[in-house]
Amino acid sequence: MNFSISAVIGQILGSSGYASLLQEPKTIIMILVAFLLLYMGIGKKFEPLLLVPIAFGILLANLPGSGIAVISEEGHRGLLKIFALGIENEVYPPLIFMGVGAMTDFGPLIARPSSLILGAAAQFGIFTAFLGSMLLCGFPVNVAASIGIIGGADGPTAILVTSRLAAEYLPAISIAAYSYMALIPMIQPPIMKAFTRKKDRAIKMEQLRPVSKTEKIIFPIAVATVVILLLPDTAPLIGMLMLGNLFKESGVTDRLSDTAQNALCNVLSILLGLSVGSMAVAETFLTIQTIMIIAMGLIAFCLSTFGGVIFGDIMCWLTKGKINPLIGSAGVSAVPMAARVSQQVGQKENPSNFLLMHAMGPNVAGVIGSAVAAGFFLTLVPMLL
Amino acid sequence: MGEYSVLGVGESLLIALSGFLIVFCMLLFLILVIKLISAVVVKIEGTGKQAAPAAAPAAPASAPAAPAKAEEKPSKPWDGKLQLIDCDEETAACIMAIISDETDIPLDELQFRRIAAL
Repeated sequence: MNFSISAVIGQILGSSGYASLLQEPKTIIMILVAFLLLYMGIGKKFEPLLLVPIAFGILLANLPGSGIAVISEEGHRGLLKIFALGIENEVYPPLIFMGVGAMTDFGPLIARPSSLILGAAAQFGIFTAFLGSMLLCGFPVNVAASIGIIGGADGPTAILVTSRLAAEYLPAISIAAYSYMALIPMIQPPIMKAFTRKKDRAIKMEQLRPVSKTEKIIFPIAVATVVILLLPDTAPLIGMLMLGNLFKESGVTDRLSDTAQNALCNVLSILLGLSVGSMAVAETFLTIQTIMIIAMGLIAFCLSTFGGVIFGDIMCWLTKGKINPLIGSAGVSAVPMAARVSQQVGQKENPSNFLLMHAMGPNVAGVIGSAVAAGFFLTLVPMLL
Repeated sequence: MGEYSVLGVGESLLIALSGFLIVFCMLLFLILVIKLISAVVVKIEGTGKQAAPAAAPAAPASAPAAPAKAEEKPSKPWDGKLQLIDCDEETAACIMAIISDETDIPLDELQFRRIAAL
């Protein structure tokens, strides 16, 4: 056997990822996308807790030859492909919802139940983007429903719906959903200002009534029962959201509440982010459909904000100026960032105005609203197969 | 497994409209449920509070003199208003947020009656 150092080095280089990179230039673009998302997460602090693992998942999945995000011919699953089982089997999004429930105070919503109207109105973008995706972009109904859900500004909901209805579009839809959630402070204010009057934006709202512990304990039990009985497909999302909230409010499961809010949620964020990122490979991601999804997602987001603000205006008018219309935009979920934006925009008009607690009502109502919209699509779309 | 198709304008509109209506109806229904729960809870807790004074005579009649200071204040129900003395609203909001954070008690479970600069 002839042994030569140069031959060995040549063989190593030939079978290395570098050689494969040159053969597949699209992979280089994906690696650059990963770098860009890492910059957005770390440098710009856009939803870093999710963008950083998603971006690193994209990077790992697109480094050629590692096999970390594929199933080999022998049936061996790469590490990220094992993590992705949690998405394929719809485990991560509902568990993240449990954490969200454990972190959420539904008190402002219970104190002012009319906030639910704003939460419903802000789902306007979901259904208009659903329409647009079919009629303008020519997407089939399952993909259109998944794109529409981006307008709910709710990452776990978008992932759950897409993984069940249009799994091949999961990376594009989840990246679009989380990116727009991160961009809320830039997307929402111009729409809020365009569709409200200056004097309405300065409205100071009355203090919310105190909500008793008993009401807070009964709330998650009642909502889970009422909503799931009507739309059984919402059970994974609404069920876990309300269970998490019951952990928080019951006062007897502090350890479970703590775990759901912190340790569990953090573990799941890592697994979910890496799994979503690992699905973004060049063949499926670098397509014209991805660009259309990202464009329709932005439209969905803007229209949801528009819907919430317009209903905020209507409620302002109906209550003779007791409701500040700015809290309507918080109905797009994205807890608590959307509520913070309402607070910031309101405070610019009237520095002594504190809308945060008032905006938390529509904000958490939006979580329920988008879960109901998701349940509607999950029930209806399979019937159209 | 079959494939999903692109729907026509009429069918798409119908689905979008019915979806939006269902979300609205569901959340309107939840408003009723929440109002019902609140009404029942307030009634039960109100009854409980009214029943409590009835049991009060069972408590020792010779209450210690210490609470006298507390009795200086009228026991009229709190009207939910916060009195700010030499303190602007922004500072008051910061103080309330800090207290809520430090005590781990949500803001809506705390009652602030007066914030005064010392």
